Amino acid sequence: MEIGYYFILSGLMFCIGLVGVLLRRNAIVLFMCVELMLNAVNLTLAAAARMWAGPDGQVFVFFVIVVAAAEVVVGLAIIVNLYFRRGTLDVDVPQLLRW
Amino acid sequence: MTLLAQVAPTAGGTAEVVVFWVFAVIALGSAIAVISLRNVVHGAVMLVLNFLSIGGLFLTLESAFLSVIQVLVYGGAIMVLFLFVIMLLGVDRDDLLQADLRTRVLAIAGGALLAGAVLFAFVGPYTSEASVCGPDAPAPGPGEVACAGLAEAYDEDDGAGARFLGRSLFTTYTYPFELAALLLTVATIGAVILARRRDLEPEDEDLADLDAAAADDLDGDDLDGASGAAAERHVAGDGPGTTERGG
Repeated sequence: MEIGYYFILSGLMFCIGLVGVLLRRNAIVLFMCVELMLNAVNLTLAAAARMWAGPDGQVFVFFVIVVAAAEVVVGLAIIVNLYFRRGTLDVDVPQLLRW
Repeated sequence: MTLLAQVAPTAGGTAEVVVFWVFAVIALGSAIAVISLRNVVHGAVMLVLNFLSIGGLFLTLESAFLSVIQVLVYGGAIMVLFLFVIMLLGVDRDDLLQADLRTRVLAIAGGALLAGAVLFAFVGPYTSEASVCGPDAPAPGPGEVACAGLAEAYDEDDGAGARFLGRSLFTTYTYPFELAALLLTVATIGAVILARRRDLEPEDEDLADLDAAAADDLDGDDLDGASGAAAERHVAGDGPGTTERGG
């Protein structure tokens, strides 16, 4: 299999995730789209590891998964808190941090 | 590794091509479904499908260990967390929450532009005959990129991908590994602190009397500033709070 098709596939997946982040206004859906983009990057890294026959890309994927797990834990806790405080998940509702 | 040997036997093997196209179509389709389905739970299930197909693609990339990690951590742990939060908040119905027309057009145009750039960059040099992974591929011509493939690296390591990854992780990347452990600890502590509700104790006695509780809140709570926000939060937060205490 030509390695370029993996890069193209992950690039397209990244674009889909990006469009999702820009389009949707629900905080949880936004978060899921970010996960989509992270997975696309993981696929690129694994394909690069195969292309150069080295372990570095696979190690990076490992670390990306660790960071994504930590990010999801904290991010979802923040989303739950926001929902309890404001009663909505819409990210366009005027923000507390805006000045 | 026997499964891997069946999936990706040699360079340019037809099995690998078939598996790649099947999982690629599933991955793209489920990704589009995630961003277009209005029901959040359906979107989450499509995201699970996407994660599983990425795991399958890792298998064709000769990264069996990553494939297992992908299914366990992403498909298992992270998506359970997502579904748990969706169910806890009861927000599965939908979202009014679509962007306005101008944002929509700009977003789709930007995404298409980026996708075009990706295609422009990779079609050609990376999709030639020389880019087929493995020893059988012809030598790369000018401007073409070769793919080494992991078969030889695995042969030196008894054919186990986990050992290949683990040796690098515990020698070259020791300090990042330790930092990752620290990061996970910090994330756990952060989640515990965020999940604690400061006003749990005072309103415990007069749970049934919503008005009294709201009045309490308006008097005593000076952190929230606006009284409207405090009252709104109280109304929004009371239902789930009750179930928490019950359980």
